[in-house]
Amino acid sequence: MPDFSLTPEQESLRDLARKFARTEMAPHAAECDKAGRFPEEIYRRGWELGLMNLNVPTEYGGSGLSVMDQCLIVEELAQGCGGMTTSIIANCLALEPIILGGTAEQRAQWLTPFCAEYHLASFCLTEPGGGSDAGALKTRARKEGDHYVLDGEKCFITNAPHASLYTVFATIDPQLGHKGITAFIVPRDTPGVAPGKDEDKMGHRASSTSTVHFEGVRVPVANRLGAEGEGFLMAMRTLDQTRTPIGALATGIGQAALDHAAKYALGRRSFGKPIAEHQAIQIKLANMVQSIRAARLLTWQAAVTIDRGERGSLESAIAKCYASDAAMHVADDAIQIFGGYGYMKEYPVEKLLRDAKLTQIYEGANEIQRIVISKELLRAYA
Amino acid sequence: MEIAVLIKPVPEAETRLRARTDGTQLDAEGVKFVLAGYDESAIEQALLLREATPGSKVRALAFGPAPRTEEVLRAALALGVDEVTWVESPAEGADDPGVVARALAFALARVPHELLLGGKQAGDDEEGLVTAAIAESLGIADFGSVVNLRVDSASGSLTFQRATEEGVESWTAPLPCAIALQQAWNDPRTAKLPNILKSRKMPIAKIPWAEVSAALGEAARPRSVAERFELPPARTGAKMIEYKSPEEAAETIVRLLREEAKVFP
Amino acid sequence: MTPSILVVGERLSGHLTSATREAVGVALALAGPEGSVVGFLAGSSLDRSVTEFGELGVTRIRTREDPRLDAAGAGAIAVSVVASAEAVSASVIVTGGTEFGRDLTGRLAVRWSAAVANGVTEATWADAGGLRVLRPVYGGRATETRRLTGSRIAIAIRPHAFAEPTAGAAVAIAEPDAGPEIPDPLLAARRTEVAAAGVSAGPALSDASIVVSGGRGVRDANGFRLVEALADSLGAAVGASRAVTDAGWRPSSFQVGQTGKAVSPQLYIAVGISGAIQHIVGMVSSRVIVAVNNDSSAPIFRVADYGIVGDLFQIVPALTKEIRRVRGLPAG
Repeated sequence: MPDFSLTPEQESLRDLARKFARTEMAPHAAECDKAGRFPEEIYRRGWELGLMNLNVPTEYGGSGLSVMDQCLIVEELAQGCGGMTTSIIANCLALEPIILGGTAEQRAQWLTPFCAEYHLASFCLTEPGGGSDAGALKTRARKEGDHYVLDGEKCFITNAPHASLYTVFATIDPQLGHKGITAFIVPRDTPGVAPGKDEDKMGHRASSTSTVHFEGVRVPVANRLGAEGEGFLMAMRTLDQTRTPIGALATGIGQAALDHAAKYALGRRSFGKPIAEHQAIQIKLANMVQSIRAARLLTWQAAVTIDRGERGSLESAIAKCYASDAAMHVADDAIQIFGGYGYMKEYPVEKLLRDAKLTQIYEGANEIQRIVISKELLRAYA
Repeated sequence: MEIAVLIKPVPEAETRLRARTDGTQLDAEGVKFVLAGYDESAIEQALLLREATPGSKVRALAFGPAPRTEEVLRAALALGVDEVTWVESPAEGADDPGVVARALAFALARVPHELLLGGKQAGDDEEGLVTAAIAESLGIADFGSVVNLRVDSASGSLTFQRATEEGVESWTAPLPCAIALQQAWNDPRTAKLPNILKSRKMPIAKIPWAEVSAALGEAARPRSVAERFELPPARTGAKMIEYKSPEEAAETIVRLLREEAKVFP
Repeated sequence: MTPSILVVGERLSGHLTSATREAVGVALALAGPEGSVVGFLAGSSLDRSVTEFGELGVTRIRTREDPRLDAAGAGAIAVSVVASAEAVSASVIVTGGTEFGRDLTGRLAVRWSAAVANGVTEATWADAGGLRVLRPVYGGRATETRRLTGSRIAIAIRPHAFAEPTAGAAVAIAEPDAGPEIPDPLLAARRTEVAAAGVSAGPALSDASIVVSGGRGVRDANGFRLVEALADSLGAAVGASRAVTDAGWRPSSFQVGQTGKAVSPQLYIAVGISGAIQHIVGMVSSRVIVAVNNDSSAPIFRVADYGIVGDLFQIVPALTKEIRRVRGLPAG
């Protein structure tokens, strides 16, 4: 940066993701969306190809990719299916606290199995009573000897019904606010862990989302990540790492919408010519491509900032917020270009709108991103 | 078994083709080159044979300019090929099939090759004759459009089938032998991400064109000249058949095919 | 200039193939009234094909009687072809656009040091010397004009690109050619079996003059039978898009496209195929393309000559019935 060109290695990573998206994901996207089916065979295949644990360091068998490389892959995957992409990258989110805060023993013990075999993990932060207000979470962790006992409920947890491991954020004392939040590694088979039923969602229907109940769940002290009270910072640093790929995911959805719309506009005729020859459509397409390109560049900028070793909270907030808003309005425009057909489920664009919507909400709603952005902005003027 | 696979970079299918300003050949500027589909099948076949015959090695060779040729060789490494050799092409005349074949035959002196595998044809020039020409240089037999290639471990000879105009022929052939493979009869594997990363660090043996042309002398001279590269006039889109009933549509199309297009019956 | 042109004959069930007949037409046109065209045959029981060459106006046939060559690879036959070409001072060798023909041309590039081209759709003498050939490239999405230089040129023509010459009644004379000994390695391979075409869609598909292909629009393996019934009414080969072979409705040998077979028939009928570029590159060089699809914006209509927008489950049976009617076939 600011060369904007990719290395041959990056091109070949992107090619791999593009091929997977086109040949393995896209052909099943409509069917999985319609049925709300979690296509585990596709996720297994993605795992086999090394597309799943992108952020896990190579010493544990992962790919150890930079955030930039992750973004290139995620944008391509999202063009195949946004929901599947969310499920594929959920491991990155769930394992990041272990990468960031785990001891050498914890990393070896908990990261290696995910690279040796297909397993899913889920990041358990959000609770029914509060999403964005992560400091106010209610799940309790009480220390009893060499164990903690976890009680509480998490919600909107990606892949939860299928995961074998949860990274769980709980408070040792609600009075402490975020200073009480502590992170734990909780295997699914621990007694008292119970994922709820699959949610019936508006979009991302190939992904699976549920609540997870923790009732008297005894977790060894050895499963605590970092010290007591370090969980909040760990969660925030995790989200700083994974927010940018969400920008890439949204960019991919937008790109898919543009591709569909442009092809349709060339084929569909009205008033004696392809609708692509009408200025009303041309202006829409021009606006769409500008939004997508801006989203991509903001995403790349955030990625490069983080890969330089900076925290990149501002850059990643801008990228995620802008790209998800862009995906939403580009998908909307694509439907408009398709006209009545765009509203029909037989055509692919209405799904893109439903999928885009989630990117404005999850991994920090865009309102929270805007608060972060303006705080950073005002700090520079204060 | 020592297996050598001939591969080639070709523009990816989605490429919007256009001619160079002098009109003689494809303008390669901005074109993304990938491993030819037939070559993917050839590599897949080689890897399957290696898995079936312990102690085997698979080596790939490609003739062409930088950087596209190096990139397809890296793609071969990522798929699991053991070693690769890049035969550099000259600036002009590199598209002459005789030159390609002689240059690769020259390089094969350094690459063990009991079995020589190629794709039936590349996705670009569709000549499909380089494998045969190399086999002639090496004095070995060659067979095209081959499927179901196997090595009989008892006799050490090959068995395979060929889809020809006569039907599906079954053959046995001793090594050494050159085989041009039909595509889509095997399902070529996809390189895994960690292997893609590893392939970036593996060595590529290079044979400079200067060395090839010095060794071949007169034989390195192209025997053909590219004069024009043209795109067919854009199809204007289909004549759409108007109809009130399926029967009427059928009658109309049959009449047009007979009277206007004159193709049927 | 009085060019001498050698046409390498191929036989199927004892008769010259249509590919060879087309090659004879090309050779006669290039030879003109001044030049000469010589036929070549190798194998056993060649007499009938010698006569057939004669009927096409080729009266001089070099023959290499050797039963080992009935089922030999192009490498073994190239040895005799080159000997015959030298014996008649040929400057051009023409073969049909078959597997064998393309293979042989490759061998001749080295064995005869020839300038070579495959898939030729036009061949004319160049004022600058040599032969100017036109060939479709990139799956028919472009054409290339090359000038083949020098006094030794070998081409394989593209199937169906040239008309067969009209048959006459000239008498052909065989000139037996003992030729050089064929090196053992080139004869060591053995053909053990030939299963008739049709067992696989392979040869029929790539060489058929009419191809009917089905795509995702047929909905399932059963729906694909409509495509086969239509093909049957036309005596056409059956193809499929990748969606069909990926879904397992038909084997991958049916696949037309970038990762399947490239076809260039006189008539290509695409049924329920939307027309992804990967499919288009495999069929766009067909002479006439008909598309049946329920989506008027499907890209297939941009490359088709005739389009029918509608429900293929109604259109295709009607079309099959109409074709059977005009061809005088019993209703299917």
